[in-house]
Amino acid sequence: MSFPNEQVETQGRSNLPPVVDPISALDRAISETPAAVAAVDSLEGLAMLESTLLGKESALGEVRRRMGQLDPVDRPKIGAKLNEAAEVINALLTARRAELEAEDEGRRVREESIDVTLQAITFPSGSLHLIQQTIDEVVDIFVALGYRVASGPEAELAWYNFDALNTPSTHPSRLESDTMYLDWGDPDDEVLLRTHTSPVQARWMEQHEPPVYIVVPGRSYRTDTIDATHLPVFHQIEGLAVDTDINFGDLRGTLLHFAREFFGPQSTVRMRPHFFPFTEPSAELDVSCFACDGGEPGCRVCGGSGWVELLGCGMVDPNVLEAVGYDPAQLTGFAFGMGVERLAMVRHGIETVRHFIDNDIRFLEQF
Amino acid sequence: MKVPLIWLQEFIDLPTTDVGELSDAFDMLGLTVENVEMIRPGWSDVLVGKVLEIAPHPNADKIRVCQVDTGSGPDQIICGAWNFEVGAMVPVAAPGAILPGDVEIGQRSIRGVESNGMICSEKELGLGDDHAGILVLDGDSEIGTPFADYVELPDVVFDLEVTPNRPDAMSMVGVARDLAAHFDITHRMPEIQMKTVEGSTDITIRVDDPVGCRRFTAREIIGVTVGPSPFNIRHRLHKIGVRSISNVVDITNYVMFELGHPLHAFDANSIAGARLVVKRASENETLVTLDGVERALTPDDLIIYDDDGPSSMSGTMGGARSEVSDATTRVLMEAASWDPPTIMYMSRRHDLRSEASTRFERGVDPNLADIANQRACAMVGALTGGEILDGAVDVISTPTFPAIVDLRLSDVERLLGSGFTVAAVSAILTRLGMEVEGSDPMVVTIPTYRPDVTRPADLIEEVARIHGLDNFEATLPSGLSGGLTPEQHRQRILQTSLTGAGLHQAVNLPFVSVEDLAHLGSELATSELLTVKNPLRDEESKLRPTMLPGLLNAIRYNLSYGLGSVGLFEIGKVFSSVPDEEDPRLPAQPDRVAWAVVGDVGTHTLGGTFLKADGAVSLALWRRLAKSLGLRDIEVRPSSAPGFHPGRTAEILLAGVPVGHVGELSPRTGRAFEISNRVAVAELDLAPLLRPVSPVEAKTPSLFPFIEFDLSFLVDESQNVSDLLAAMRVAGGELVERELVFDEFVSSDLGEKKAVAIRYRLRASDRTLTNDDAGPIRRTMIEAAQKTGAVLRGA
Repeated sequence: MSFPNEQVETQGRSNLPPVVDPISALDRAISETPAAVAAVDSLEGLAMLESTLLGKESALGEVRRRMGQLDPVDRPKIGAKLNEAAEVINALLTARRAELEAEDEGRRVREESIDVTLQAITFPSGSLHLIQQTIDEVVDIFVALGYRVASGPEAELAWYNFDALNTPSTHPSRLESDTMYLDWGDPDDEVLLRTHTSPVQARWMEQHEPPVYIVVPGRSYRTDTIDATHLPVFHQIEGLAVDTDINFGDLRGTLLHFAREFFGPQSTVRMRPHFFPFTEPSAELDVSCFACDGGEPGCRVCGGSGWVELLGCGMVDPNVLEAVGYDPAQLTGFAFGMGVERLAMVRHGIETVRHFIDNDIRFLEQF
Repeated sequence: MKVPLIWLQEFIDLPTTDVGELSDAFDMLGLTVENVEMIRPGWSDVLVGKVLEIAPHPNADKIRVCQVDTGSGPDQIICGAWNFEVGAMVPVAAPGAILPGDVEIGQRSIRGVESNGMICSEKELGLGDDHAGILVLDGDSEIGTPFADYVELPDVVFDLEVTPNRPDAMSMVGVARDLAAHFDITHRMPEIQMKTVEGSTDITIRVDDPVGCRRFTAREIIGVTVGPSPFNIRHRLHKIGVRSISNVVDITNYVMFELGHPLHAFDANSIAGARLVVKRASENETLVTLDGVERALTPDDLIIYDDDGPSSMSGTMGGARSEVSDATTRVLMEAASWDPPTIMYMSRRHDLRSEASTRFERGVDPNLADIANQRACAMVGALTGGEILDGAVDVISTPTFPAIVDLRLSDVERLLGSGFTVAAVSAILTRLGMEVEGSDPMVVTIPTYRPDVTRPADLIEEVARIHGLDNFEATLPSGLSGGLTPEQHRQRILQTSLTGAGLHQAVNLPFVSVEDLAHLGSELATSELLTVKNPLRDEESKLRPTMLPGLLNAIRYNLSYGLGSVGLFEIGKVFSSVPDEEDPRLPAQPDRVAWAVVGDVGTHTLGGTFLKADGAVSLALWRRLAKSLGLRDIEVRPSSAPGFHPGRTAEILLAGVPVGHVGELSPRTGRAFEISNRVAVAELDLAPLLRPVSPVEAKTPSLFPFIEFDLSFLVDESQNVSDLLAAMRVAGGELVERELVFDEFVSSDLGEKKAVAIRYRLRASDRTLTNDDAGPIRRTMIEAAQKTGAVLRGA
């Protein structure tokens, strides 16, 4: 057992030789010091010399110890000499220390260089999946605008996925060729794998009073064969704003803000009328190509059109508001939805969506 | 839908023919341009010429000497084709003309007779495959016209994406109508000059299903000669990718693309019993369609019957029995209005998507039926020599009236913002063919070709569309307050903790195979799996009850590409057939976090790393995660789970509630996934990890000196060191600042025991500790350790 931190007091005492003449002893010390200091060639040696020259057993130490025994008449003179000797010796030591430190520095710099181009040590560093990074980035843009982030079940009631979103019972998207239905539960209350993140809109509005400002990132499922642009399971980010005075300009302004945050401040957007059951008017939003100055023939991102198709959006259909018990006479809103894989693909020039599910570390660690 | 510009211009005088400007106009209207094809003639200097004389060649039997006029008097041309006579109009390549393939036509002598050019076939002009004879043009073509003008080249074909709510835009006329609204100009319908003869068809029509068929119009044409279509019709269809079949069939297609209403031509002589009946099919009936496929019908199929049974499928494809053939002389032209959902289900059920079904399932205007019928009959009459009987059949089983919707300016402003006036809104709606009366509300009568417009919101969409979506000012809603929830914030921390440890986030499809579950040794019954009723592939039929197979397959994938060290984690849902606790209408689908790590972990140096993934590494990852998340009240106890190594796995409890397992993959499972090295694995419920924790109460670090001592014990090999540590921590009390297990080993010298060495650091917050303080505490701690069965070594 040991107690390493215990303080041990040094008890050392030596028998001192008699000093005949303190002045001459100090003079000798002064005169001998330059050679002794010059002879030292290391900082360690200098530290030892310092203790030899100034320590208790040095000439100076000896004189200091005996001051009390001296004739009071001699004391001022000897005291002055003692101070002079200490100053001289200290100055020499300091100068030599500086020299030796400089030498040491020079030697270390010469001898200790490493190959800075060599990656000798690597700390562990993993990565978030590009899908996650993209989701987090988009979510943060909307959180900064004052949105909340909502989520919901992936195995979802057909009611929330379709009916609550104004999708007629005869709409083709309900067909088994498009939607995966689950072998579960009450046949009259069909459960499916949600085909978009939009059912969360309806769930949120059912549970919250307006105003509503949410984004919904999450997985969606469709009956699709895997190819370069399709996966049966993919990610979407949905946005919904419902308030007493939301109009089409707010939709346009919000998405323009998003495009500029995500693709850069030079971005512009254009909107093309489109069709979705849950919005009216509906539009598709294109962002100006961020890879070329617009319309560069053969551009890998826009193909020369100058525009990149980004997302679908529109003003919330009054039937959707009614389905969740909101009054369409009092409230208006907008909604938008984008494919996360697509956002990442256009931004990073990814040629096939398969990369997102291969989980090949060589792909993942790039981002 | 493909729209050739020249065909479109028949119905509208466009203010521009600039491709870019027109593309922008289409895009702004929501008729998104998917592709633009520029079609240019593959030739130069080919003119329309008239054959004036034909004489035999003096030295050859198979070729003839023709005199052809292309506007500058007769020229002599030798021709090997025999499918034309004197008076025929033909394309003539003059000497110096260039034909496709850079073929230059020169003046030359053929068997001693001079030939000044060439009379061309379709194939030689690159316009089709017909090489049987030369291309004979319509009689009314003008001599000397450049042949390119005759065939409407150069032309631009816009390929438009028409959204499912816009059946009205699925035709040349419909597109012209939308463009007219956009440019605020007029458009026109085709002129229909139908000459009829007296007489009525003896074919009767009965509609037994007024929901499935709202209207059925039919006209009979007699004396028809079926043959190839005139070249200009064939060429227009060719430009939009439609194959030419015969004049009668081509006309039905032509009118469908022109007006948007599909038609069907029956061979009237083939209608058994001269009677057509529209009704749903019965079980066990079959019908051979035009494509020769025998189709088993279901009671949902809407079928046109004659006295011999099912004859034709409504709105999707005609039947082989009544198909128009070369022998047809009597045609019954049908234009009927079919129920959109009926056609949608039927076309998908029989995998019969056609241009007709695409239109019907979106909703074709019933009030257009007879117009289309007249247009088609007029063309058949003009082009086949047939005579149209004036007694037409028009069964209206369910009349279609225009919708009338009240629209208030305040509603327009609420949705679109201020700046609209009644006059401006009325003007836009009028441009779209709507009738507007009054001002507040505006009473809007909506043409029946717009079945998508039934409510004020739909009218407002039209106002926005024609106003131009890009002409709205961009504004931002204000006064919001949002942010991440504590759970969402903590998920970010969790992600950072795992990536900081060197793991990469994986995303797997959330499906699982029964084989992979068996590899885990899972006792999970297949009946507890949540299954997809209609999977496209077997791989996508069962939803995963655990994250591990996906991660292990991903590891195997990476190993197969030569990566030796792979660290992956995944966050996502698992599924089971047990009802969800919060919403029992849904199956349980909790979120999980899981990881799987193989090979080197930790800091990598030139010599490699010290650490290989195993159960201990997995536990270290867990502790790092727990620390990052500030989790407290954690219990780690030896346990196992399917796929885990029973001796190297811990169950984790948070506040006494199990949240999952952390440890090592069982060797058997590793082998099954072809991973030979140890795999650090874990699978944990996400929600309890993300539950917010109370803020840490800060402790002020003591500035007084410390005392350290080491203790070494022998404990049973099976005993958990945590028991020993816990006992000593209690005994040491508040003064124990730090405990560090710095050695643990099992040696044969120790029997069934393992040696554990621990360094303790004691420090008081208010004074310097002395040996007098430390000695008794040390003794108390040793005694507590001994009570757990540990034996102090070297004592």
